[in-house]
Amino acid sequence: MAYLLQQLQSASAERHADKPAVWAQGRTLTHGQLEADSNRLALCLQARGIGRGDRVGLWFPKAVESIVAMLGILKCGATYVPLDPMAPPMRIASILADCSLAGLITDATRLHGLDPSAQQSLRLRLLVEPATADASTLSWDTLGAFPDTPPAVDAVESDLAYILYTSGSTGNPKGVMISHRNALTFVDWCADTFRVTASDRLSNHAPLHFDLSVFDVYNALEAGACVFLIPESVAVFPANMAAFIAQHGISIWYSVPSALVSLLLHGGLETRELAALRLVLFAGEVLPMTYLRRLTAALPRADFHNLYGPTETNVCTHYPVDRAALAQLERLPIGRACANTEVFALDAGGARVQPGQEGELYVRGPSVTSGYWGDAEKTARSVVPHPLHSPSGEKVYRTGDLVVLRSDGDYDFVGRRDSMVKSRGYRIELGDIESALYLLPGVREAAAVAIPDPEIGCRLIAFVVPHQPDGLSVLSIQQHCSERIPKYMIPEKIILCDGLPRTSTGKVDRTRLARDREPGEAST
Amino acid sequence: MTSSSANIDKIRRFILDKIALGRGITALADEESLVERGVIDSLGIFQLVSFLEETFGVQVGDDEILLENFSTILDIDHFVRAKLAAE
Repeated sequence: MAYLLQQLQSASAERHADKPAVWAQGRTLTHGQLEADSNRLALCLQARGIGRGDRVGLWFPKAVESIVAMLGILKCGATYVPLDPMAPPMRIASILADCSLAGLITDATRLHGLDPSAQQSLRLRLLVEPATADASTLSWDTLGAFPDTPPAVDAVESDLAYILYTSGSTGNPKGVMISHRNALTFVDWCADTFRVTASDRLSNHAPLHFDLSVFDVYNALEAGACVFLIPESVAVFPANMAAFIAQHGISIWYSVPSALVSLLLHGGLETRELAALRLVLFAGEVLPMTYLRRLTAALPRADFHNLYGPTETNVCTHYPVDRAALAQLERLPIGRACANTEVFALDAGGARVQPGQEGELYVRGPSVTSGYWGDAEKTARSVVPHPLHSPSGEKVYRTGDLVVLRSDGDYDFVGRRDSMVKSRGYRIELGDIESALYLLPGVREAAAVAIPDPEIGCRLIAFVVPHQPDGLSVLSIQQHCSERIPKYMIPEKIILCDGLPRTSTGKVDRTRLARDREPGEAST
Repeated sequence: MTSSSANIDKIRRFILDKIALGRGITALADEESLVERGVIDSLGIFQLVSFLEETFGVQVGDDEILLENFSTILDIDHFVRAKLAAE
């Protein structure tokens, strides 16, 4: 039984050495090649003194090397940190400093954009390019000098496998620490529930720094199947994405709902040959029922499943869509707990909710994170002693998500207890955007609000009060934001105003800001 | 029909002003990849399509919103010209 993620891959390499394991941008690696290449990388990292207790970043667009890198880092005993390939260098620098990366695997363009002062912790810079002219970096071709035998590493299941950075409310991204055991609990449950086989062809739509990709990559490796990495460029164009599914005979799709909605509305699904698609999984935000009904009609052969879970818990609940019940269902439940996971909801008084009641969802089990990298304070707020009984001192994750327990035992998601929002499946703390705005000299006050949107979850609008009238331009604010926060967090619309409305308690009245926004501006 | 270079400038202006959202990008060459530079994303593409429909009076079908038609400013211009010629 595997207790480390890379063991899933090594076992498949023995059984399916010559079968394709990963496809990206027209290139394929077999399970055997993946084993050999990741062993070489692990030995290269070891030769640079990188191993247990170290972290190595991955910062480049999806390629077959992405999977080699993830596995190679794990095989030397280190932890990988997948970084948004589109994130601005200043954001990457702050993550690099936060978890003091020992190594960075990237490309020359990105490395040059990164301030040298941000690179001080790096003992290794490896480019995913055949050659490099720079003596301080290694090129991918140098890996060929290392043997393809697996390195000897003492690792245990509670070691960190990867750290995923998400938006933090104070303006700094926070790193969710995921151990091998945390991830395997989820991967094992998926293998049992979805019966992934060696003949399956899985898509990978989510970026690799997003936890949906864990299923795509590791369940494909576990089953000896092939994962097809959808390039960032194809994901922008629904018709290309639909053609990709047809062309590669994808049998398992997993994405945020907004990607499914764009496939439905603009992908021409009805004209494609999609008979191979047997399983459609979605997670990350709420899929409106009207779109789910249309999707199930457009893909009559596929089983649909709603997965729910913050990054901190991988996936903790699951709802298999019952086609026969769809017509009566008003809201799509998030379902009930996955295997080896317990969920419960507590009301404001701390009592377990009864059917029909609303409460905050808590998660217990081996899939739950031990906390945020280097941030004991944030960890203590979210990973808490069991509020009802804790004979073993075991901690549980407090999700911040409000749910209603249905009479049939399933849960419904109803909202958040804080200002975190979701847009296209990305978690966004409105405070993270506001912190970025306040860094701009000339900003007196700033407020970010989210306007609900059925297709993508929500659209972001920022209201900015300058110190001096005419002291700031919308363009300068946008430019400032783009250097500090990822594109998905940049408000679509920035409105300069003289002041912000307040509630009776003196807080910024976000409800009024969202309601009274200028008419017709949400789309510009 | 206006000249191609005038069209190209209009397209470039719109992308820089409305879609690039000031990603520190103040200039875009005709043949630069819009997606690889992160200029166009899944929201921006539909803003751009609406702009083309309104500005050049063309109808763009879902099956034409393709990477090959929108890779670069030059590709977009070729696409619009082909649409206008066909109508």
